Amino acid sequence: MLFRLSQTLTDRYSRTFARTVRATYRQDEAYASTPLGRLWLWTALVLLVMLPLLLPPYPMYVVVLIAIASIGALGLHLLVGGAGQISLGHAAFLGIGAYTASHLAGPLAAVGILLGGVLAGLIGIVLGLPSLRIKGTYLAIATLALQFLADYVFKRWEAVTGGIRGRTLPPAEFLGISMPNADALWYLVLLFAIPLFFYAKRLLSSRAGRLWYAVRDNDLSARLSGVDLTRAKLTAFAISAFYAGIAGGLLANLYKSITPDNFVLTFSIQYLAMVIVGGAGTVLGAVLGATFIVLIPEVLNAIVGAFGPQFAPSFAAWRNVVFGALILLFLILEPLGLVGLWGRIRDYFRTWPLPY
Amino acid sequence: MTPILEAHDLSLSFRGVRALNGVSFAVNPGDFFAIIGPNGAGKTSLLNVLSGLYRPQRGRVRFLGEDLSGVSPQERARRGLGRTFQNLELFRGMSVLDNVKLGAELAVGAYGALTPDARKEWAIRRWAEEVLDYLHLSPLRHKHAGALPYGLQKRVEVARALAGKPKVLLLDEPMAGLSLEEKQDLARFLLDARREWGVTLVLVEHDLKAVLELSTGVLVMSYGEVLYLGEPGGVRDNPRVTEAYLGRSA
Repeated sequence: MLFRLSQTLTDRYSRTFARTVRATYRQDEAYASTPLGRLWLWTALVLLVMLPLLLPPYPMYVVVLIAIASIGALGLHLLVGGAGQISLGHAAFLGIGAYTASHLAGPLAAVGILLGGVLAGLIGIVLGLPSLRIKGTYLAIATLALQFLADYVFKRWEAVTGGIRGRTLPPAEFLGISMPNADALWYLVLLFAIPLFFYAKRLLSSRAGRLWYAVRDNDLSARLSGVDLTRAKLTAFAISAFYAGIAGGLLANLYKSITPDNFVLTFSIQYLAMVIVGGAGTVLGAVLGATFIVLIPEVLNAIVGAFGPQFAPSFAAWRNVVFGALILLFLILEPLGLVGLWGRIRDYFRTWPLPY
Repeated sequence: MTPILEAHDLSLSFRGVRALNGVSFAVNPGDFFAIIGPNGAGKTSLLNVLSGLYRPQRGRVRFLGEDLSGVSPQERARRGLGRTFQNLELFRGMSVLDNVKLGAELAVGAYGALTPDARKEWAIRRWAEEVLDYLHLSPLRHKHAGALPYGLQKRVEVARALAGKPKVLLLDEPMAGLSLEEKQDLARFLLDARREWGVTLVLVEHDLKAVLELSTGVLVMSYGEVLYLGEPGGVRDNPRVTEAYLGRSA
């Protein structure tokens, strides 16, 4: 009797909270298969929409930065963690998106951002071409070439990019609503981010994801399983660049002024760091990685600021050291990234209160 | 009966080494065709030529009556020429289910990768589950393929290949390194697949006993040459085969 009761209780518990019991294949493939999971998803979405009401302006600005970086990082995740290719030219795609958006700004902002993504995607296919022949470090160097080429074009093609002085943008407008600050722009960012995130998750869990993972894990047996390597790699590059282009367009509308200095190599490397710290190949990793990389300098700044202005110069140098050390520590202690950490916490509660 | 897979006068050399020298044979639909021979006989090279990884200098391969010269490996796979490897070539970072699903796309039908199609995806999942169930892999579906023990990885590789419903499945030493029970299981799965799904099997194997018991046709190779081609019963009595395996008697 007592046994029956405890059995019912644990069964109910796992059906409601944990994902251990899945009766059908359909449940197995759903985004959020438990009632709690669905509740959590909806709460998160509502919270996202309400965020500007809850946060003061500067933190909100940082949150918008994080969201934009997440979109860009997500694109790189699909490429690096998904298809196992590497790109040091991600900033170039952000730049392409940003400059395109700068020409279609104001009331046309949404169109400009979308077009920037598409344009970046097309150029992404070109960047993907070397990947058909070379791999790993060599590919990284090949993509570096695009980064430098883009930098040169951004500086010299003054008619389009405004040269080193760059371009300024009027405040974005969407459906007649002006978005002069981060609070308002947040909704435009969400409008792009939410569909892009669900799309990426869908891609990774369907055919595209399988093709990419297959290319990443074993290109020989991918071919003999009927995978067209050329197409799989090029779609990965195109999609990755598309996401970066969108992120670039949003960034341009946030900064309202862009110069070539916004899209240098350091920026590409920062995005790679987001991917690695976040844990390559997952959607959640993109958000966590972007949060970490954007937030840590802000937090360090705040700490330096708290000590008073007289310490600022000596601390400023140490800030980067601490930042670098944190990334290193991460790689050593948690190679799966923040996602790995999250996964272990979740696994713990999935079977709680039993240890196994 | 018209052969389903036909090799005609295949020759392949790497610089000075002649890996294949005028190899010809034909496999009929429903055959269990075994390729045996000592180490370095050119068996794996032959499979690689058949699946399109190597381009022979001379000769041609016909599959389903069509010449395969210039057809890419991935296209051969789509036409129904499956393949497994001697050294495991699984997608180690993918789950068992995803490995099998990738194979299942060949059977169920692919769709544009960037436009996820829930119905197709669904059909792929159902067929993949059927194959998993068939090979007794269902409980492992969410495990990472690379984390499984060797014998199970081999079975996953066979599952991935079978999920594509190949017309001909090329298996490179599927039984090597397996325990007796695992060998028996695998042999049963393969025979069942042949009977129920009509898969023609071509396998390279070292286990002579298994080959002689199971196969319907045997090709014996040594140093890239065909020593024997025919019924399994005739292998033991063939003087050239005995010589290649045991050496000339003094």
